Formats: sequence, C-alpha cells, structure tokens
Amino acid sequence: MVDGTTAFLAIALMAAVTFLTRIGGVVIMSFVPITPRIEAFLRHLAVSVIVALVVPAAVKGGPTAVLAVATAGLVMVLTRSAVGAMLAGVACAALLRALPIPLL
Amino acid sequence: MNAHGAPRMARTATLTWRGIVAGAREIAPVAIFVIPFGIAFGAAAIEKGLSAALAVLMSAFVFAGASQFAALDLWSSPMPYLMLALTVFAVNARHILLGAALAPWLLHLPVAKRYAVLSVLSDPNWAQATRALQRGETDAGLVLGSGLLMWVAWILATGIGAVLGSNLGDLTRFGFDVLMISFFTAAVVGQWRGLPDLVPWLVAAAVALVGASVLPFGWHVVAGALAGGITGALRHG
Repeated sequence: MVDGTTAFLAIALMAAVTFLTRIGGVVIMSFVPITPRIEAFLRHLAVSVIVALVVPAAVKGGPTAVLAVATAGLVMVLTRSAVGAMLAGVACAALLRALPIPLL
Repeated sequence: MNAHGAPRMARTATLTWRGIVAGAREIAPVAIFVIPFGIAFGAAAIEKGLSAALAVLMSAFVFAGASQFAALDLWSSPMPYLMLALTVFAVNARHILLGAALAPWLLHLPVAKRYAVLSVLSDPNWAQATRALQRGETDAGLVLGSGLLMWVAWILATGIGAVLGSNLGDLTRFGFDVLMISFFTAAVVGQWRGLPDLVPWLVAAAVALVGASVLPFGWHVVAGALAGGITGALRHG
C-alpha cells in the first residue's frame, strides 16, 4: 500500500515532469532564431506529430480502427467539420463492433 | 492561403476573454467525449488502491491521460520514483514538440501568459489551435479556453469514475477509443496543402510505425514527428 506522503510526492513529481514537457518546446525555441527553414520544420513537425499519433494507433486497433480513421478522413474532406469527422469515425467503429461477424 | 508555399504563422499573439470563451465552445464536443476516459482512469486508480481524492488530485495536477494510466502500472511501495519520472517523461515528451510548433506564435505573448496557456496544452486543443492558426487566428485564448474546459472535464470525470468505480462498466467499448484518432485524422486532413506534403507525412508515418515496435513506449511519436519535420524542412527550407 502506498502511503499518503509517498503518493503526494509521486503526483508532484509527475506534475513537474509533465509541466516541463509542456513548456519545454517554447523554452527551447526562445533560444533558437526562427528562420524560414526552422519555420518549415515546425510546420511539418506539427502535422507529423498527429500523423505519428494516428497511424500506429490505427494499425494497432486493427481493421475496425483503420476503417474508422478512413471514414473520419473522408467526412473531413467532404464537410471540413472536425467534430463531424470525429462522430463519423466513432459511429463507424461502433457499427462494425455491433456486427455479428467479428473482423480479424 | 496558397496551396503549398510559405507557411502561414501568426506574427502577433493576443490573449482575450473572447478567445477563451470561443476556444472552450469550440472544443466542447471533444471535451464531452473525454469523459469516458476520465471515468475509466478514476475507476482504474481506485482499483490500484488510490483514494478518490488522490485520483482527482493526480488528474488536476498532471492532466495527461496516457501518462497517468502508465503511472498506475508503477504505483507500488516502495515508489519507483526514477522509473515513474522517466515513464511520464517518455509518454509526454511529444508535448515538447507540440509546444515548439506553437512557438513562433506564443513567443509573442508575455512570459506569464505564455506559460499559462502551455500549462493546459493537450493533444486535442493543440490540434484545434494549429487549425485556428491556419485560418489566421492570433488569439491564444483559444488554446487556454479549450485547454481549461478539457481540464475541468478530465477532473470531473476522474471524480465520477473514482466514486462509482467499475460499476459503470467499460465505457470505452462504445468506440470511444477511436474517438481521438478520428479527431486527429480530421486535423491532419484539414492541414493538407497539396502533394508536396505527402512525403513528410509518409516519412512520419513510416518512422512512427517502425518505432512503435522497436522503441520504448511513447517514443515512436517523437521519432515520427521529428523525421517528418526534418523531411519537410529539407524539402521546403
């Protein structure tokens, strides 16, 4: 059993580390001159973070997740609504899971 | 906005109440869907022997779901502090990149406001902020307001989960687990500027996929993002 003091210390440690990651990027960039090349890096970095989050998660989630992501992407292209795309992806996954035939 | 020319980055930044309210309103549909994850965390924390108060405290001060679940795996006596710090850092290291991507914008804010905005930075409100930047918004209140609403939703949901425990069952079975990746997919598609974007995106996807099986947990996102960013800079810089 973890006692109260230990738990507080652990939470404080987690909070401090997480806060440092949140401010770290801006702190580092405040020492780096933002040239056009750095700006191009940051712009591609921004999209690449999301791509790097989504693709492995979708692959790990199997056919259901891949189809849900495809649906969300399609709805985004058609409607330009992020919330609509999100709901469509969730609806797609829920529907596939409700099917009597289990996907792989 | 041109198809694939110079990136559009705000040359100025403001922080207004109007922006905070607008940001909160815009993220509300996402914040609602964060609740099942918060409930799941609260219930899992209780099972690990945390009190409801400690679970809520952790959600309030850490506010980073994946790392909080990871911490529960390490939650034992004696507390493995070093492992805990390293794990939380690894899972949350992507925040450094999220923040860096917003730097050309947020560096225009006074220091106190800058770090206030960053203290509630999370994946969904960051994805929303990058889209807002693309359409020329300059109000960092959008990030603060959306972050605060996500934060409140996360804390409340943790409390609900901690009190009700696993009586609610696993709410994530209704497809909520694909919610975030669907939302992020929309964010990626919304940023599409034409074919030159394809190569950096493919590099990011490939490195992240390989990284997911060879790197320690959490680092594939960092590796993929850096690879995509560097590829983009080399091609456009």
